[in-house]
Amino acid sequence: MKFKRRPSQLRDASRLTLRLWDFTGTAMLNLFMFMFLIAYLSPLPFMVIASLTPRDQFLDAHAPILPSERVKLNYEGKDLIVYNVPTDDGVKQWALYKPSRQSSEFIDPENVAAGPIVWEGNWRTLKAVYQFKPTLDNFRDFLSVTKIPLYFKNTLIVAFISEVGVLFSSIAVAYGFARFRIPGIKYIFFLLIATIMIPSNITLVPTYYLYSGHVLGWIGTWLPLIVPHFFGSAILIFLLRQNFKSIPRDLDEAAMLDGAGPLRILISVILPQSIPVVTTVALLHFFYIWNETRLASLYLGVSPNLQLVSFGVQRSQTFFFTPEALMVGALLVMVIPVTVLFLSQRFFMQDMIVTQIEK
Amino acid sequence: MDIAKQSRLLLKAKPARLTRLQQEARVGLLFLAPWLIGFVLLKALPILAALILSLTDFKMLTPEATEFVGLENYIRFFQDSVAGASLFGSLGYFLLTVPLEMIVALVLAAIFTSERLKNKRFSQTLIFMTAIIPSTSIFFIFLGSLEYADRLIFTPLNLPPIQGFGLLLPFMALWSIGPGFLIMYSAMQSVPKEIYEAARVDGAGPMARFVYITLPMISPAIFFTLVINLTGAFGGAVLLDRGYILSFSLSPMESYINNTMFREADLGYASALAWVTFAVMMTLTIILFRSARRWVYFPEEDEVNEI
Repeated sequence: MKFKRRPSQLRDASRLTLRLWDFTGTAMLNLFMFMFLIAYLSPLPFMVIASLTPRDQFLDAHAPILPSERVKLNYEGKDLIVYNVPTDDGVKQWALYKPSRQSSEFIDPENVAAGPIVWEGNWRTLKAVYQFKPTLDNFRDFLSVTKIPLYFKNTLIVAFISEVGVLFSSIAVAYGFARFRIPGIKYIFFLLIATIMIPSNITLVPTYYLYSGHVLGWIGTWLPLIVPHFFGSAILIFLLRQNFKSIPRDLDEAAMLDGAGPLRILISVILPQSIPVVTTVALLHFFYIWNETRLASLYLGVSPNLQLVSFGVQRSQTFFFTPEALMVGALLVMVIPVTVLFLSQRFFMQDMIVTQIEK
Repeated sequence: MDIAKQSRLLLKAKPARLTRLQQEARVGLLFLAPWLIGFVLLKALPILAALILSLTDFKMLTPEATEFVGLENYIRFFQDSVAGASLFGSLGYFLLTVPLEMIVALVLAAIFTSERLKNKRFSQTLIFMTAIIPSTSIFFIFLGSLEYADRLIFTPLNLPPIQGFGLLLPFMALWSIGPGFLIMYSAMQSVPKEIYEAARVDGAGPMARFVYITLPMISPAIFFTLVINLTGAFGGAVLLDRGYILSFSLSPMESYINNTMFREADLGYASALAWVTFAVMMTLTIILFRSARRWVYFPEEDEVNEI
């Protein structure tokens, strides 16, 4: 009996240790990822905290980290600031009534009727008492100075129009690259890859000349930011083409036998199978327009009412350079792209094919 | 396959069949047309125009006084120590940030392939999120968090405060890993599971499987990430752009060119500088593509010429 039971006991025990190891491994891995994410995103909460912090808190080196305001006592119609005052009986929270360098008079908030108490020492060495209180004043101030809603509207219009253009032409071009036998297409494709790597400032001066009053007269309009996208974007074409190529040709050929033309095949065979990559490409373009400052500063500098949000906020930040205003602007600019990313995380970059590996 | 079919068609010599191929090419070109027109108008012609400009002393304020100066601007580049330093600065920026970016992205992608990791979608979005934060915000996030780090950690521990911008480069590099990470992660996911199973049966440990299977199989994705990072280091906007303002860029060469262009309005010299950068970048890219034949695994032979 004993002889028979022992191996099974052993097996049970080893299975238990195995499961324990498995559990420890899973826990360690998830803990590591959790810690990494906390460290990785740690700068973000500070921005939120700073944007909710009242202005005068930044001026006081002893102020707490969290947004808070000074505790005040209303005495004889005046707001007195409460300080931590060290006395013989320990630290008391007293309101400063008559400041003076040598000795000051304080009011005890718990015993107002007793009148001023004289305290010997320099009141400037005392630390003010704070209580936690986030404020939205920074947002109100920032919104009253900048035309953020207008910038949001402008950016959304530009993003939408150029989105339509870039999707139409990039999809068409990617389809051309993926499915058609054209002599020398390899070299054309190589040109496409090469244009991805052209530094942007080499074409800047000649294109500026093209858009300027000498030729087209588009400066001060949205056209320089919209029209180029109607010719497609090389990197988006590349991503789309890699995906289109990975779709088996069988369905194309079946549709072709049924008499479908190339456009028909694109719309009813290729596109329905490429929804994830098309969404990804659309989002990439949206983020691109949202972050656009180069061209916006160059072509829209003369017409502030057409300005886009990134450059608009950047410019207003140079007008009032205080920490809380900067943080408010920074926060407002990134809210929309981050929200869009989170809403679309189901689709975004799920099927990013750079080269075909198994297909 | 195509060649075989084509030659068979040629042997049969049916003119109607041949025109079908021609027709296919014609329709294909029609689809390519938007990009081809855009390429000529917005890329090829401007680049040529920049080449011509770089041979003149064109200044924005006095366009009528423009004269042909030959190679003077290029000679000036070789005597301009700031330009040389900026070019090496850009190279250094590339060498400093790109390995950090790529290694962290690769390690994260490898961890993500583990089936034990929970909430992948969500963590993936969080990692990517930092790559779309506009430059408008990112510097203030950086400076603000430095100040808070000072107050929370460094001052209580009596450590000297952090010296500002030294940390900016690695910080920016880490916060830009999003696209590279996602590309490598998707590549890792599409490696066939049978290969891992076979290796496991043969006794290969996790480390060996990563080095001998995962890395070679995803080498195209690594290569692609490397190329887009190279372009980014020299001032191209690839895949995602934070939108740096013209007068400021993390790439020293790009800032120097923009400075010559907009502060000094010396467009001839700026074009020459842009052309030098372009040449250096293209040389590096061609070297990368040449070396790719040695270390990048291409499943289809014709892909070698394509990517």
